[in-house]
Amino acid sequence: MRIIMGMTWKELLRKRVMVLTLIMTAVFLIGFWFIAGTIGQNTSHGSSISSGEELLIRFANGVFILTFGFFFGAFVIAFLAIFSSFSAISGEAEQGVMQALLPRPIPRWKWYTGRWLGYVTLGIGYALILFISILLITQAHAAIPRDGLALFKSFLLFSSIVPLLITISMLGSGFFSALGNGVFMTMLYGAGWLGGMIDKVSSSLLSGTEALKTLNNMTGIMSLLMPVDGLQRRMTAELFSINEMNGMFNASNNLFELVNFNSVPSNTFIIYAIFYTLLAFLIGLYRFQRKDL
Amino acid sequence: MSTAAIEAKSLTKEYDNGRGCRDVSITVGKGEAFGFLGPNGAGKSTFVKMLVGLIHPSSGTGTLFGHKIGSLEAKSLIGYLPELYRYQEWLTGEEVVRLHARLCGMQCSVADQRIPQLLDEVGIGKRGRDRVKHYSKGMQQRLGLACALLNEPAIMFLDEPSSALDPIGRQEVRRILQKLKEKGVTIFLNSHLLEDVEVLCDRMALLNNGVILRHGKVSEVLNKRMSWRFKVGGYAPILLSWLNDQTGLQIRVSSHTEESIDSSTVWLEAELESEEQVGWLNTLMVEQGMTLYEVSRQQERLEEWFMNAVSGLNHRGEQE
Repeated sequence: MRIIMGMTWKELLRKRVMVLTLIMTAVFLIGFWFIAGTIGQNTSHGSSISSGEELLIRFANGVFILTFGFFFGAFVIAFLAIFSSFSAISGEAEQGVMQALLPRPIPRWKWYTGRWLGYVTLGIGYALILFISILLITQAHAAIPRDGLALFKSFLLFSSIVPLLITISMLGSGFFSALGNGVFMTMLYGAGWLGGMIDKVSSSLLSGTEALKTLNNMTGIMSLLMPVDGLQRRMTAELFSINEMNGMFNASNNLFELVNFNSVPSNTFIIYAIFYTLLAFLIGLYRFQRKDL
Repeated sequence: MSTAAIEAKSLTKEYDNGRGCRDVSITVGKGEAFGFLGPNGAGKSTFVKMLVGLIHPSSGTGTLFGHKIGSLEAKSLIGYLPELYRYQEWLTGEEVVRLHARLCGMQCSVADQRIPQLLDEVGIGKRGRDRVKHYSKGMQQRLGLACALLNEPAIMFLDEPSSALDPIGRQEVRRILQKLKEKGVTIFLNSHLLEDVEVLCDRMALLNNGVILRHGKVSEVLNKRMSWRFKVGGYAPILLSWLNDQTGLQIRVSSHTEESIDSSTVWLEAELESEEQVGWLNTLMVEQGMTLYEVSRQQERLEEWFMNAVSGLNHRGEQE
């Protein structure tokens, strides 16, 4: 399994997927630095805070900058996860790479798990770099949460989309061609993201109406099919410790609109996402065990 | 270990499109070189893939040296060169072989010694340090052979091993396979190049539309009809009748009569049991006033055997 995992790392690094992603990330972070600087202009720099109002402004700026940063960050790690693994099985079988490797004395489950671990560890490593970078840049221009546990929980949620997407992507790769799976994954991820956007807009525009109920059902189904957006919303809520701060600030403030604090997924949703990932992994593994190459 | 290297009993793979293999049973002894022939789409690669564990049979059983096909024990004994394959193009040739060495559980020190030797043997040499994406198809085939030979397999499965090679490369591959055979390695050769099968294999089977049409020893097929051809001048049909009466043989004018220079110069052919009969026939012809220009032995080539076996079959492999 370690051999296959190592091969996967080498593949991603040699194919320059990772290098290209890191270069584009650097470009994003430079841009993000200037945007964060512009947003944070209305507060004094440094660690000293002269008044409670300024503390709130710095916090609100931090929320806005971080939300913006992680919104983009989630996109990047999602696409890295999808595009690194969408051809893991069908693509390699179509090219004939697998036909040369799998007659070797290695159980198929080890190959599958090794590939999965390779993609996931690299993706999570990248997510960690991105997570820390976004926090540091925001810290330079506004306030960031300093609760270690909240940061840890939010990182776990931020990076949880990596195993989720890679698992579904590898499952799809056992059924569809490489191209078909790429399209399928992009559409599925897009549906989950769209569900989150509809939820965000509808909750602020259609409050209390029948239409909202219907939309909630639709977005609920979308979230169940692709729980990524829900996990991201929960991540933001954990990062800013929304439960603990209940009532301390006005969540309908313009700056907080982007965050959608009104519909934070519950613990049950997190458990659902874990089981969803586990089930997709097991089905993918079963499919690969039975697949003719 | 079992005495048979390969034992397939009614191995069947059914596909929705009707292709695949049906009820294929063969036994290949240890150290034997077995040729597996058949036209395109006959199901040869499907059968080989079942034996190496890439395809799950729909029914039937198979063992390699007594181990169930697809098991880790069976896989640890094989070397396999697939027909359609590509190696990881982001790796160098040497790294590809090293990856296979690790998957075979080979110790690093052993791999360090073996890999350069192997790359030299298959003709890759120092180009082993180049990335595979810079390799030609022939180079990739050599690399495939290096990977297949790596673990000193007890049985080699070769699916069109020299299809992308130039004549020199083909000769080299043939030499390598010959050496393996001398070492006692069992060889299962799936090839369109019938010459390879003729030179290397002890036995063979012909697969068409998923079923075995014929099988037997290569030497028996090649020696079955030892015919001789005589280019004679001064021929007349009455002389041919006389010759047949005198000898009791079935001498006939060759179908290659268009090669005759004029109506009295023809090719005659006959199946003879020994070279002594050639001399005797020669004397009789000369006594009857014919002039003998040329004598040649016609051995039935595998290609002819192959063509005869598959001709007259429809696309389902049934006799028309």
